Amino acid sequence: MKIIILGAGQVGGTLAENLAGERNDITVIDTDAERLRELSDRIDIRTVEGRGSYPSILRQAGAQDADMLIAVTSSDEVNMVACQVAYTLFRTPTKIARIRAASYLHKEKLFNNEAIPIDVIISPEQVVTDYIRRLIDLPGALQVVNFAGGRVQLVAVRAYYGGPLVGNELRELRQHMPNVDTRVAAIFRRNRAIQPEGTTIIEADDEVFFVAARNDIRAVMSELRRLEHNYKRIVIAGGGNIGFRLAKGMEHRYNVKLIERFPQRCAWLAENLHRTVVMQGLATDRDQLLKANIENADVFCALTNDDEANIMSSMLAKRLGARKVMTLINNPAYVDLVQGHDIDIAISPQQATIGNLLTHVRRGDVVSVHSLRRGAAEAIEAIAHGDSRSSKVVGRMIEDIDLPEGTTIGAIVRGEKVLIAHGDVVIEPDDHVIMFLMDRRRIADVEKLFQVGFTFF
Amino acid sequence: MRVRELLTPERTHYHLHGASKKRLLDQVAQLAAQGNPELGEQQVFEALIARERLGSTGIGEGIAIPHCRLASCQQPVGMLISLDEAIDFDAVDGRPVDLVFVLLVPEDNPEQHLKTLSHLAALFNEQSFRDGLRGANSASHLYRTAVDSEAELQLAS
Repeated sequence: MKIIILGAGQVGGTLAENLAGERNDITVIDTDAERLRELSDRIDIRTVEGRGSYPSILRQAGAQDADMLIAVTSSDEVNMVACQVAYTLFRTPTKIARIRAASYLHKEKLFNNEAIPIDVIISPEQVVTDYIRRLIDLPGALQVVNFAGGRVQLVAVRAYYGGPLVGNELRELRQHMPNVDTRVAAIFRRNRAIQPEGTTIIEADDEVFFVAARNDIRAVMSELRRLEHNYKRIVIAGGGNIGFRLAKGMEHRYNVKLIERFPQRCAWLAENLHRTVVMQGLATDRDQLLKANIENADVFCALTNDDEANIMSSMLAKRLGARKVMTLINNPAYVDLVQGHDIDIAISPQQATIGNLLTHVRRGDVVSVHSLRRGAAEAIEAIAHGDSRSSKVVGRMIEDIDLPEGTTIGAIVRGEKVLIAHGDVVIEPDDHVIMFLMDRRRIADVEKLFQVGFTFF
Repeated sequence: MRVRELLTPERTHYHLHGASKKRLLDQVAQLAAQGNPELGEQQVFEALIARERLGSTGIGEGIAIPHCRLASCQQPVGMLISLDEAIDFDAVDGRPVDLVFVLLVPEDNPEQHLKTLSHLAALFNEQSFRDGLRGANSASHLYRTAVDSEAELQLAS
């Protein structure tokens, strides 16, 4: 696919990196020549220096031939105008823009071909906020992603001694919980992927990915580890976009304290939040954390835009007694360094956001993509179209589908119904098929599987 | 339906500059709407793009048969296009495409359209048919070759 990316910042850069490896033809536009050079030294892309909303610059970047424009500059307005130009002058089929200001986001009527022609709006802050929110709502989960509008979830947990299934074969899950259906999609043991079979024995410390209907998730988790109590007391460090949204979304169900450095921002936060206790100070300050009652906190979330400060305050919070710490870390190199030691969950905003964009790059009718294990694995929800003649999946039993190695079908969503994938389930047209790829490099084979044949009208 | 029923000399285009899959479909939409304004340029473009997104209509050997159903379409419309330079079409065999037959059909009568599509695929599957089209040197020549070779080939339709 020919893709133009506007903005070589964090989102644009990560995106270019992810896409360049996958048979795509990428051109990145930015006003900053230095950034472009840094990027093109590392990866195989074309670059154009200039303002991405200008028709001349877009044309130079190949807009006439581009299948997709992804506008992720830091300016909402530049992103919007670029999409308008691409639509009106170049009839670019897919236009994706990052829009941050809530004021725009609340006006859905603004974004369509008759008004501002943007096909997909991405809001990284919202995506990251939702991501953290799901982790807080499901204590003990390392990662929680939604499919089919949340009817199905894929959850990663670490197995612990004391979980009834630990030390037993997977197939015993069925006997333990006759009324709950689930599918273990992958197991990572000491960072190596294991393809789960009925006879696979779960060991303590395994990282287990399973798929289940949302209501069954807790039951399955309880087989793998002792269930944790629900969280109540949350301390957030950093009252930026994400910290504010998270507090706002949780303050009615949780006891939330928010530490923010700048007095002016504190005043704004206090005015716009209702039940959250806003405290002015530094989260890397031990006394400040103590004042926030950190020793009784169930979760500490470090969400400032400073990686080092987030890591230090998280470590401090953990030492002072916070039960769980979650830390926003932009630098991917840091993530491996700290996760699993002093920090329970490191959250990479790029990884959380990238799936959103990959959804539209994947061939076939793909509804959602989630990047897992720092981009090495992927979970994908695709719609099966056609009939047994034009499709390689429709009309077939799951066990007869020629899935690439390391790929598991976890569940099928058929209308309102969630079917956990067992070998004898037959795929019907319009089924949403949820898959787990232990190795993302197999994605092209999965795409092929879900592409309709020539005779599809 | 057969090529002679679907195609007209006006809808046959010789050595179009395709440039890319997207730009080619863009031109197809423009050309289709010039001859049949009721089709709607933007609708044709969007429908073709949407169909390609589900899977490429590049059937291999340099051939693509982009097709879609359109509410605005009264009867099946065919377009034959040869390209000056082959373009990447994400085809099944990965080879670039230089011969394109566009098929736009109404929403009703799916069985008939499927037959038409199979007939076109069978036709383009014949090497002599493809060679004939690639040997043409003008739009009218391209049109005559398509219609005449179809008549010569004994294919069920």
